[in-house]
Amino acid sequence: MAVVQLDSICKRYGGVGPVAVDNVNITIADGEFMVLLGPSGCGKSTTLRMIAGLEDISSGTLSIDGRVVNDVPAKDRDIAMVFQSYALYPHMSVADNLAFGLKRRRVPTADIDRRVKEAAQILGLSQLLDRKPHALSGGQRQRVALGRAMVREPMVFLFDEPLSNLDAALRVNTRNELIRQHHRLASTMIYVTHDQVEAMTMGTRICVMNGGKVAQVGAPLDVYWQPADTFVARFLGSPPMNLFTLPVASNGAEIGGGPVLGPLSRWREATLAKLAGQEAILGVRAEDLHLSREAAGAAGGTIRGRVFAVEPLGAETLVAVETDGGVECTARLPRDVAARVDEVIDLHFAASATYLFDKASGKAIPADGETHRPHAPRGALQ
Amino acid sequence: MTYQNAQPHGIKPFKPLPRLFGRGALALVIGAYTVYTLGPFLWLATMSVRNTGEISADHYAWPSPFRWEQFRVAWVDSAFDTYFWNSAIVVVTAVAVVTLVGAAAAHALARYRFRGNRIIYGILFSSIIFPPQITLISLYQILVDYNLYNSLTGLTLVYISLQLPLTVYLLEGFFARIPQDLFDAAKMDGYGDIEIFRRIVLPIGMPAIATTLILNFIQLWNEFLFAVVLISDPEKRTLPIGIRAFMGDHFQDIGMIAAGVMISVIPVIIAYAFFSEKLIRGMTAGAVK
Repeated sequence: MAVVQLDSICKRYGGVGPVAVDNVNITIADGEFMVLLGPSGCGKSTTLRMIAGLEDISSGTLSIDGRVVNDVPAKDRDIAMVFQSYALYPHMSVADNLAFGLKRRRVPTADIDRRVKEAAQILGLSQLLDRKPHALSGGQRQRVALGRAMVREPMVFLFDEPLSNLDAALRVNTRNELIRQHHRLASTMIYVTHDQVEAMTMGTRICVMNGGKVAQVGAPLDVYWQPADTFVARFLGSPPMNLFTLPVASNGAEIGGGPVLGPLSRWREATLAKLAGQEAILGVRAEDLHLSREAAGAAGGTIRGRVFAVEPLGAETLVAVETDGGVECTARLPRDVAARVDEVIDLHFAASATYLFDKASGKAIPADGETHRPHAPRGALQ
Repeated sequence: MTYQNAQPHGIKPFKPLPRLFGRGALALVIGAYTVYTLGPFLWLATMSVRNTGEISADHYAWPSPFRWEQFRVAWVDSAFDTYFWNSAIVVVTAVAVVTLVGAAAAHALARYRFRGNRIIYGILFSSIIFPPQITLISLYQILVDYNLYNSLTGLTLVYISLQLPLTVYLLEGFFARIPQDLFDAAKMDGYGDIEIFRRIVLPIGMPAIATTLILNFIQLWNEFLFAVVLISDPEKRTLPIGIRAFMGDHFQDIGMIAAGVMISVIPVIIAYAFFSEKLIRGMTAGAVK
């Protein structure tokens, strides 16, 4: 049980090199499942390794349960980590791999035995205790790696992209297994991934990182529906959010003209007055685009473009169009959609489904009207 | 009734011809190589149980009678027992030190980033490139200066310095391929640097360590040049120099030389038999996963 607090954490390799992690401030609550999400090289793994004690912290303060641990070696931080490569000791059996950390901590032999057997039973490894890692499948290795962390009963669990070496089906199973273990252990867990599905499904909160900086922290659906900037908007969501750089009408009532036209009824007049006559970025998610005006809702905007790709996915169909201005956008449409390549179509969206971003900074311009959150309370039966 | 899995019984599938030819060619090459290497050894073995007179009369004749006493004569009367133990002490000590120090140095060079890492590696590597003979005279002088000339300690130190660079070079290459995650995992498990070396690096690197161990053993067991220059006392001779004593300027006791060589070969065969499996694993070792 532990609160992990990162206060102005920076990492600079070689003391003077480029900043790998830049002024990160996050507080991870006790028992929380925090996901650090971002593309390769965004600093998420470096942040995790600094929490683990495997990398020095260039500046800032890291505390676990109120104790500053900047200079505390990894072994004394009471943290366990699951690595992307699993990092199982190849010359040891599964049982020895599980017990290795406990032996060092001089845990009584009977206690080690009990904990190893318990973890093996929970993770379905009881029959494999005598095997060496090379005789295990990818999923089994992954479970041993998780077991090795679990038997330690640490204050904090760290995961460094633990599912990325598994095939798709196994990844879903293991993801559910991890969620279950988090509920069972109720420990603080910090999980690094570049996979938005993992982040959305597993995290209590997610922290999106970009270029060494924290782009946004929040509950998964909050981040999805209220992205802080264009990076978060495009990184979360598949296909990514469609963005159009367009001029705002001089009266501020709408944005664009020609092939893309959007009403700006979500924003207050005072906000729009500052934007009038300038360019801004309009955002619409693929699932908010519809072929008919009725499906999109009464008031809204339109995108006219030529279809250049139709991707039937079974449950739905992705239709990619290119506007006259050469801007591409993708719509997630019903599976029975009758769009053909080279056909010119109109895609409609509701006024409430629009996002607006500042052109220069890419930051979201907060809407003053109703919050666009079409999913309503999850699981609510009305 | 289904025919999907029906297999014709009693008919063996034909092996493709090229594969048969490939197998045959391989057997031929291996056979020829075996005759090439084993032939001289067997010839030497027959000579070791014949005396020099018999050998002079017919070089290739089958031993008749088998003169096993030649081994006793070599071992006891010709002080081969002394030479053997001298060799054993020098070589075993040198190989043990080279293996331990070499593995530790290789681990440090492969794993830790520190100033001068690559310079040290470069110096070690450069000492492999040059022939060891160029150091002979200076080594002789150094040993004389430190009162180590004509001593087994001096020879042991020279042997260590001769084999250490290659050992570090070979092991560094292997250790560098051990994934960093294993070290990080051991650190998280609470282990310090020395324990990680002992519990992770040494067991995982065992095939490579066994390879260098056997190569060093064979190299030093047969080493002649430095031993003949740095040892003058007959009591301190190693086996290769002891065998050389049977070669006079005008007369060579071929039978005794053969018996001496056979004695000296036995430890090498034992060492090879003991470590061969690990040696092969070391040579074919790919990714350490």
